[in-house]
Amino acid sequence: MSNKLSSSVPTDREVVLGVLNNSEEALNKLYTGYFPMILQFILNNNGDEDDAKDVYQEGIIVLYNKIKSGDFELSSKLKTYIYSVCRRIWLKKLAQQSKKTNNISDFEDVIAIEEDVEQHEEKDRQFDKMQEALLHLGEPCKTIIQDFYINNLSMQEICEKFGYTNTDNAKTQKYKCLQRLKKLFFQS
Amino acid sequence: MRNEIELEGIIEDYLNGKLTEAEATAFEQLRLNDPTVDHKVVAHKVFLDSLKDYASNLDLKNKMDHAHDQIDVDALSRKLGPHPSFIVNMWRKNKSAIAVAASFILLTIVTIYSIQQTTEQTGSYKQMSAELSKLKSSTTTLIRDIKSSQNSKVPVKPVKFGGTGFAISSNGYILTSYHVVEKSDTVYVQNNKGDLYKVDITYKDPINDIAILKIIDKKFSLGSLPYSLKKGKVGLGESVYTLGYPKDEVVLGIGYLSSQSGFNGDTLAYQLSLDVNPGNSGGPLLDNSGNVIGIINAKESYTDGATFAVKAKFLQEALSSIPQDSIVGRISSVRKSKLSKLEPSKQVSKIQDYVFMIKGYN
Repeated sequence: MSNKLSSSVPTDREVVLGVLNNSEEALNKLYTGYFPMILQFILNNNGDEDDAKDVYQEGIIVLYNKIKSGDFELSSKLKTYIYSVCRRIWLKKLAQQSKKTNNISDFEDVIAIEEDVEQHEEKDRQFDKMQEALLHLGEPCKTIIQDFYINNLSMQEICEKFGYTNTDNAKTQKYKCLQRLKKLFFQS
Repeated sequence: MRNEIELEGIIEDYLNGKLTEAEATAFEQLRLNDPTVDHKVVAHKVFLDSLKDYASNLDLKNKMDHAHDQIDVDALSRKLGPHPSFIVNMWRKNKSAIAVAASFILLTIVTIYSIQQTTEQTGSYKQMSAELSKLKSSTTTLIRDIKSSQNSKVPVKPVKFGGTGFAISSNGYILTSYHVVEKSDTVYVQNNKGDLYKVDITYKDPINDIAILKIIDKKFSLGSLPYSLKKGKVGLGESVYTLGYPKDEVVLGIGYLSSQSGFNGDTLAYQLSLDVNPGNSGGPLLDNSGNVIGIINAKESYTDGATFAVKAKFLQEALSSIPQDSIVGRISSVRKSKLSKLEPSKQVSKIQDYVFMIKGYN
């Protein structure tokens, strides 16, 4: 069974290069390649498909951040890294739900990844904070901020999109929105 | 307000590297001089970084959701998830433990089986000893069944039974196993030089499987016996040897005492680890000090090397049956064996003159 699973898995080099180049194809290959491994782990350890999806996506994010931060060395197999990270994340979740975490059924080798997971948790908190702040910001501020800072639209484009009479008005609006968002973000 | 907006614009441009060199230098000077501006720059950078992280993570999540949609999760779950059956689950989770348990059970079965086999063999020992007690000669008793008379020096009649005996006195009393002579009317003994003597059977003890023969020739005489009789206990594992006539030449067999009892715990006998052949019956069993400790009488039919010997202390009764005035230089159980200081190999050369081949005719 495990042979069958690994046959569709991209090579570790392929993945690292793909991540650094923001290749969507590489992400797809990576994602579909290792998902069954994590699904198997979660299903056999008190989880369901949704848990598997959440944990696996967090694991991939950890991997992405690790690779992008540049200090990812292929000291272990990618498969082992992903498995270990997801395993750690899932065990923490189980502990939070105060479900039993002893007698874990393992399917792969496990390596120490505590530091990476802890860093990820910190980032995840930032992510949640930002999401929360944006949610409370309300329209049209949310879209203006997203368009400007995330989708990298120019002030001119935003001005046209929202029907402001001139870019100064748009800038003022954006400034106000950002001030509010900052307040929400740093307060929470 | 306007200034604030301007300032933020400049900070953003500065962070994005959109300022010209001169503007950037001027701005950095401003940061150095005005801590509030510097603080705003740092705070804005932290915030923008968070926002970017948020954006890229969101982007990644969207892409992953997209990838996730391409996976047939249900089918995979069925394949990889815990099996609905409890037993299959248990097997998957405890493969190694079950394997260990299984091998242990297997080992136990094998052990029990081999013990049972041994028990079966004990059963056959019993049968054999029953036959012995009836004293029917069989392959298990060590009589040499001589089919033809070709090797015999007595051409009158073919030799029917062969065995071994040894002198218990210097004037021609010879001890052997009862079953060697039980079916014979005429018995001869032959020494290692090939001289043949006719004997009378003067004593028969079917229970202890002992017979005493007397050489009829009144002139027959041996030197004083080199060995003595040891009626005391013989230690387990003690080296023993025997001399016998499984063929026309005397043959030495060496082994050790393997049990204090014989067939099925028969206390009359010792069990020995010693290779003997038909013809060894009635031979003396000696320890390394040259003491006779028993008489070879049977072997176990299924196990090689398991031989039985009647204990020497049961010879006493046989010996006392001989009239005291007719026995000269009888075997002693008090005197120390003359052989005690000799090497076993040297003992053998001294003893072989006192060991006889028994030939029975009927």
